[in-house]
Amino acid sequence: MKKVIALLAVVLIAVLSCTSVFAAGLNSSEQSVLSNMRTPANMKGNSVYVPSSYINQAEARFNTIDMTSDQASKINGLINQGRSFLQSTGKDSIKKLTSSQLNTLMGYASQAAAVLDVKVPAGADTENLKIINSAGEVIIDDDGNVIKATGAQPEFNLVPFMVSVAATLLVLCAAGVIVRRKALQYEKA
Amino acid sequence: MKKRNNKLSLIFTPIVFCLVMCLAVAAAVLPKYDKLSTLAGMFISDTQIDYSSAYENIFVPTKNSGDTVNAKDVEFPGVNKQFGKLKIKGTKVDAKLFYGDGTVPLRNGVGIYGGSFIPGYGKTILVAGHNNTYFNGLKKVKKGDIVKINTSYGNYEYKVTNTAIRDHKDKKAYDLEADHENLILYTCYPFDSLGLTNQRFFVYAEKVKGPKIVGLYE
Repeated sequence: MKKVIALLAVVLIAVLSCTSVFAAGLNSSEQSVLSNMRTPANMKGNSVYVPSSYINQAEARFNTIDMTSDQASKINGLINQGRSFLQSTGKDSIKKLTSSQLNTLMGYASQAAAVLDVKVPAGADTENLKIINSAGEVIIDDDGNVIKATGAQPEFNLVPFMVSVAATLLVLCAAGVIVRRKALQYEKA
Repeated sequence: MKKRNNKLSLIFTPIVFCLVMCLAVAAAVLPKYDKLSTLAGMFISDTQIDYSSAYENIFVPTKNSGDTVNAKDVEFPGVNKQFGKLKIKGTKVDAKLFYGDGTVPLRNGVGIYGGSFIPGYGKTILVAGHNNTYFNGLKKVKKGDIVKINTSYGNYEYKVTNTAIRDHKDKKAYDLEADHENLILYTCYPFDSLGLTNQRFFVYAEKVKGPKIVGLYE
């Protein structure tokens, strides 16, 4: 489900790739896109919304760009197409979409990426949604979880750990063999 | 013949012993892999990543504790950038504040979730930190304590109103659509546990001081 939401979100927040400039605030173009993002898609009577966490991320990014009305128009067009597509699938929820339908949805993301020069390196294949702008800067990095794992998590691999255990056992065995041989020699002497 | 058997047993016995022990260790380790790997990782690691230099710091202390700051004077931070400090008086919580809550921010301090907002925005600020490092001190936090956040555009204070232990999947633990400024800090619970846990310790606070960002909507 997280992957599906991430895929949908790619379509809707690929807009974040607009040329980044130091300009705070939300202009009317940006506000129109945010408003459009908040409009639900009707899937067989069910209203499907973009999660507020994704809309908030879009709003945060819009504060760092100056979106033109032309860009907003294209973006709103893509959002509308995505919403119309969802409504035309005949399914009542996103998680019931087929892989083919998801690919179509991803097509909108690719179109947006091409128009707006954004890169979506991993979002299509994994649950981690990452969007990188033309400068190579990560502008969105979201694994779909609002609440993160905040316990101790050092980098660790099982393989080197097991190799270490095996090596330690071998050394202990070798030591045992040597001690045993010495004991036999001592007994013989 | 007996001598030959003795020599063979000297060679094969250690090998069989090693194999059996490796299997036994694997069987014992795998079910509790998370916790053991955490413990072992403190001593063994096959990677050396210098997270300390993997971020940019845009935090420059300011004296602005007034009522407002113009949006045009606020540099909105990018992902993995340090843009402030977070401190709770009376506890050991004193950490660098980052935008984003991925590996780099949580290795070097505490981080604001990108789906929430920065201080002064007038909405929810959701901050994560590790329970064994920067947010271990949350266990000393009590109602009425003051959380101080310093950024380059203003200094903020939030009064703790409540604490709670909730499941990490409990969506009622936060409200990302709130229309008033509120601060939520969280970390894994129990505080001194190793590895991943399902519970989180939340600290809820309301803004009492600090400049509101104005001019957000042109």
